[in-house]
Amino acid sequence: MRAFNAELSKLFSLPGIWLAFLIGAFAPAVIAALDSMAQKEEIIAGVSTRLSEVGYIGLALGVQGVIILGVLAVSSEYLTESSESGGGQQITTSLTVVSSRLHFLLAKAGAVTVISILLSVVAIMTTVSATHLVLGEYTPAFEWPKLLGAVCFWAFTALLAFGITVLTKHGMIPLAVLIINTSFVSFSFLLSKVTKLALYLPDRAGFEMFMFLSNRFLTPFTGGLVMFAWVVVLFIAAAIVFHRRDVAS
Amino acid sequence: MLTFNNLVKHRGTQEILSGISFKARPGRVTGFLGPNGAGKSSTLRILLGLDRATSGNALIDGKPFAELHNPLTTVGAALDGSGAHRMRTGRAHLLWMAHAAGLSRSRVEEVLDIVGLTNAAGKRVGKYSLGMGRRLGMAAALLGDPKILVLDEPVNGLDPEGIRWIRTFLRERAASGNTVLLSSHLMGELAETVDDVVIIHHGKIVADGTLEEVIGNHSTLEEAFFALTSGLAGDVV
Amino acid sequence: MSFPSSKKITRILGAELDKLVTLPSIWLTLTGTFILNLLLAAAFTSVGLQGAAGTQSILNIGLASMRYLQAGFIILGILATCSEYTGGQIRSTLTTIPWRGVQLSTKHFALAIITIPAAFIMAASGVLYTFTMMRDTAVVIEIDTMIKTLLGTTGYLTCTTLLSAAIGALFRRTTPALVVLLGYYFVVSPLTRDFPPRIRKFFPDTAGYYMYLPPSSVKLNFLTPMQGAGISMLWTLIFITVAIVLFRKRDA
Repeated sequence: MRAFNAELSKLFSLPGIWLAFLIGAFAPAVIAALDSMAQKEEIIAGVSTRLSEVGYIGLALGVQGVIILGVLAVSSEYLTESSESGGGQQITTSLTVVSSRLHFLLAKAGAVTVISILLSVVAIMTTVSATHLVLGEYTPAFEWPKLLGAVCFWAFTALLAFGITVLTKHGMIPLAVLIINTSFVSFSFLLSKVTKLALYLPDRAGFEMFMFLSNRFLTPFTGGLVMFAWVVVLFIAAAIVFHRRDVAS
Repeated sequence: MLTFNNLVKHRGTQEILSGISFKARPGRVTGFLGPNGAGKSSTLRILLGLDRATSGNALIDGKPFAELHNPLTTVGAALDGSGAHRMRTGRAHLLWMAHAAGLSRSRVEEVLDIVGLTNAAGKRVGKYSLGMGRRLGMAAALLGDPKILVLDEPVNGLDPEGIRWIRTFLRERAASGNTVLLSSHLMGELAETVDDVVIIHHGKIVADGTLEEVIGNHSTLEEAFFALTSGLAGDVV
Repeated sequence: MSFPSSKKITRILGAELDKLVTLPSIWLTLTGTFILNLLLAAAFTSVGLQGAAGTQSILNIGLASMRYLQAGFIILGILATCSEYTGGQIRSTLTTIPWRGVQLSTKHFALAIITIPAAFIMAASGVLYTFTMMRDTAVVIEIDTMIKTLLGTTGYLTCTTLLSAAIGALFRRTTPALVVLLGYYFVVSPLTRDFPPRIRKFFPDTAGYYMYLPPSSVKLNFLTPMQGAGISMLWTLIFITVAIVLFRKRDA
């Protein structure tokens, strides 16, 4: 528990984390608002084919905030980009404070999960209000199970970002890959055209939890389960690598 | 000759330097002394054109740093750390600097030899120990064989052998007519190396003179330093 | 400030090139982008092969990976300028080359020297792969159209790289620069696709898009390739200028 508190305070003292909060809280709302504006006429006319996605699209594409959170939580331990310190690595300090590496990793993952759940709740509130603001009475109802799915999606995404960064130690690659993958030109979407197996990729499977995809493939529950399995596998891999690796290398 | 004229530096609402004036003369080693956070590094960074002074100026042979014809062959500077990217090799770091100043490749090997890094020159800077990083910083400072050396905490992180080497090396440089300005908070070390002492405290100069003048009636430089910086007084100068 | 002589500028350019080529992450980014580009070209080609024969444009499919490819070049640009702030290298840079405006513009120039051939090779390899795989099914294209498009692509990627370098110099930290740039290119810009084209065509990425847009889709051409190149370069120059002005003003 003490390690968990320490990880929370470490996260909150990172300057980059405020960027994550800002993006996490408002990006989904902005995306949802833009999408609703674009579709407003169709929705009012009652011909929209994507009615069930309204608002949720913001929550699906606006996960950059928690991606940054998950990546920064790890990469900040390794890299200091300051003109003053000659490359001090916080990880050495961290591991002398919490000696068990597994505890350290668990505490950090716990802190990331808690913050991303809170962030997703904030994001849901801003997104729902933004959608209401744009669509007014035409806003489709938001259902609890789907919102819960969105919260899970956010937390899992943050943990995926976390796990990948533990493996790479450097924040740039996971950040780039994951942000691109949340966009309209996602790798998973492209791959899903090549092979059906790509539908089991974590983000595609995760979408099933709350996005009503026209070509539904998994039930929301199995979708969540598939994504969770990815998180677990990645976390185990990260834990093994992290346990074996010399800190300095 | 290095001249500091009434340097003032504000950072936000804080006044970091309030009117710093002193000189570092050729043929002498000038020690710039002060507790942590007194403004030593800020003063040196302004001298090297890294930071901008709010008012006042710092001149090198009468010119600001940016107006020097070839800075690397005029002033050699080693600030905190190695000043090199972690992923580059030590040799590659010195090579690009040499390239920028129009110096030859062989000069790079020379300075690597002087600081004793020849064997580690092909390693990434990120793998260097603290002392090796400092040696690389020294190598960069010596690259252009400059008349003036500005060193921030040069002995920090060096082993006893390295400290002794720095001491004799700096004495030799000064003896052949060069200007050496070094900052430090290690009194004992400084007392054995410097000719002149400037003491800075809370952004103000509290003492400026030869080593004997600054020590005055105190038994050692350390005694004098604590007397001056604890605010209990002493009108030295 | 005394302006350095041309001999000095050549030296500074040499030093900036040295810095770029001795940085392993630059090479990692370039090789990684190259491999990824080929993989994506393969993926797009295999999707394209499922389509009807004789209707596919090699250029369209070969360049479909551009959207992803630009990410590699964004990273390249950010690395070039943000690497100065690792390990305090900026101090070594400015004590060696204290002419800040000249230093930063030369850095962009050196970056362009590396980017232009890299961008051309990558774009060409993608198209070449598609060409060899789809020779029988695709519409024949003329060689000069192909070269024009490839030059446009190279120009677009170079502008994007230099723009990213300028943004990197503004932020001085990789993470915020990366988030802002990827966020713009991959999230914000696609979201604004419903904006009227008369506004959108002035956006840096959309304007750049017209530089390599295949001429077949005439009805979508709101800008000629030259106009696109002009607007795109203007954006790049604006950001470089802002970066230089700020770099000269602030403490290193």
